[in-house]
Amino acid sequence: MLALWIALGVVALLLVLFVLGYNRLVRLRQETNTGWSNIDVQLQRRADLIPNLVEAVKGYAAHERGVFESVTEARSALLRAATPRQAAEANEQVTAALGRLLAVAEAYPELKASQTFLRLQDELTDTEDKISAARRYYNATVMRFNTAIQSVPGVLYARPLGFREREFFSAEEADRVLPQVDLAPGS
Amino acid sequence: MTLQEQIRANRLRTGVLLLGFALVIVALATLLATVLDVWVGAFALAGALVYALFGVLGSTGMIASMTGAEELPPEQLRSLRRVVENVAIAAGLERTPDVRVVRDSAPNAFATGLTPAKSFVGVTTGLLETMPRRELEAVVAHEIAHVRNRDTRLMTLAVVFAGVIALVADIAFRTMAYGGGRRDGGRGGPIVIVLAVIGFLLAPIAATLLRLALSRRREYLADATAAEILNDPEAMALALRRLELDPTTVRHADASVAHLWIESPTHRVEDAPSGGSALAGLFDTHPPLAARIAALEEAGGFRLPDGLPDEAPFIATLA
Repeated sequence: MLALWIALGVVALLLVLFVLGYNRLVRLRQETNTGWSNIDVQLQRRADLIPNLVEAVKGYAAHERGVFESVTEARSALLRAATPRQAAEANEQVTAALGRLLAVAEAYPELKASQTFLRLQDELTDTEDKISAARRYYNATVMRFNTAIQSVPGVLYARPLGFREREFFSAEEADRVLPQVDLAPGS
Repeated sequence: MTLQEQIRANRLRTGVLLLGFALVIVALATLLATVLDVWVGAFALAGALVYALFGVLGSTGMIASMTGAEELPPEQLRSLRRVVENVAIAAGLERTPDVRVVRDSAPNAFATGLTPAKSFVGVTTGLLETMPRRELEAVVAHEIAHVRNRDTRLMTLAVVFAGVIALVADIAFRTMAYGGGRRDGGRGGPIVIVLAVIGFLLAPIAATLLRLALSRRREYLADATAAEILNDPEAMALALRRLELDPTTVRHADASVAHLWIESPTHRVEDAPSGGSALAGLFDTHPPLAARIAALEEAGGFRLPDGLPDEAPFIATLA
């Protein structure tokens, strides 16, 4: 009789642990989703700014066709990207192409002084800052989520229940996100 | 301590705070009812509850006026808004808190609000005039950390409740002292009167201690979280060092909101007399900045250089 009660107790305990662990995984996954949508919003904003910027530069330097093409190409790669890694790669491509575009703009003082151009450039800088802020949060949430489903007890049930590792928002093969250090004293 | 643990702990503390508030108010009302009249007690209880309700609902405006924080028109200080936006994104907040500015030359900052979505971050003009961008970001990250782990809700409630308790105790004490006591000298004789006086004196002290007890360890936690959000513990330590070296304090510092600020606005913790050991620290709203810097240095494995980096303050970099 006693053995039965103990067995029941153990089962109940395991069940509770499982429910808590499962809920934690769901929460962590939700955090990565939020993190990703933050990045996505900013990538979209960056892509939306590009045509205007190209138009602004074109007004002064219409002959620099190669540069415009590479920017437009990078932009459509960004809009096509289906995974975080592809998006990160395309985003770097955009950064490189925009760098060339802005270098072209350097040669035209009137363009550099135009209000439209200045405003677009300012917006672009802001978007880039926000992308890197959103990247920091997203990669940290991915790190937490992946660690949770790769370590005990998550590893025991995460896969069968459909939890899959998330990709980092990073163009590199092996991401170099530093492990989270808990800085709080006495905790 | 993870974020979830902090939020859970804060929820618990909020519950304890509500309970403690209810107990103190009921105790005060009971005291009034025994010493003076049942109706006086009932009236005090009802008044306190109504006042608390309106206090909680209007807490944002109340704290804004107690600190002198002004709302900015959207086009003004766009760069400051951007700094707050970027930090909020890096912290994973769903909505960026509003920014308000306190016209005061002492560098300081605070955050308040009952929910993350309704919070605002207040910075003094002095902060913008002394801190370079990197350190300003760290200060904002510290405030965002308070918002994210629900410290702000707890602190905002604490401000309101402590205010209510102090007011009720004050009115009760005055009522008793000046003619409130009936001609027959109350009901229970001198012992009850003495107890009542002690009770009324203790209430504001209890309220103050409660508020202070809430405030101190969380500063370390918010420093650590800010360092984590920005991945830059050195920036946080530098910002604290700059606050430490700055001799000014906020002019219109209201003692009842002292614990909201990143640095104690009422007095320099370091200047407090060092005697009295444990008791000396009991009434401080903030741990000493030096201790907070040391905690960051230890956790981040770095040492701050003696001087501060000679960078242009944030406001000077604005166009």
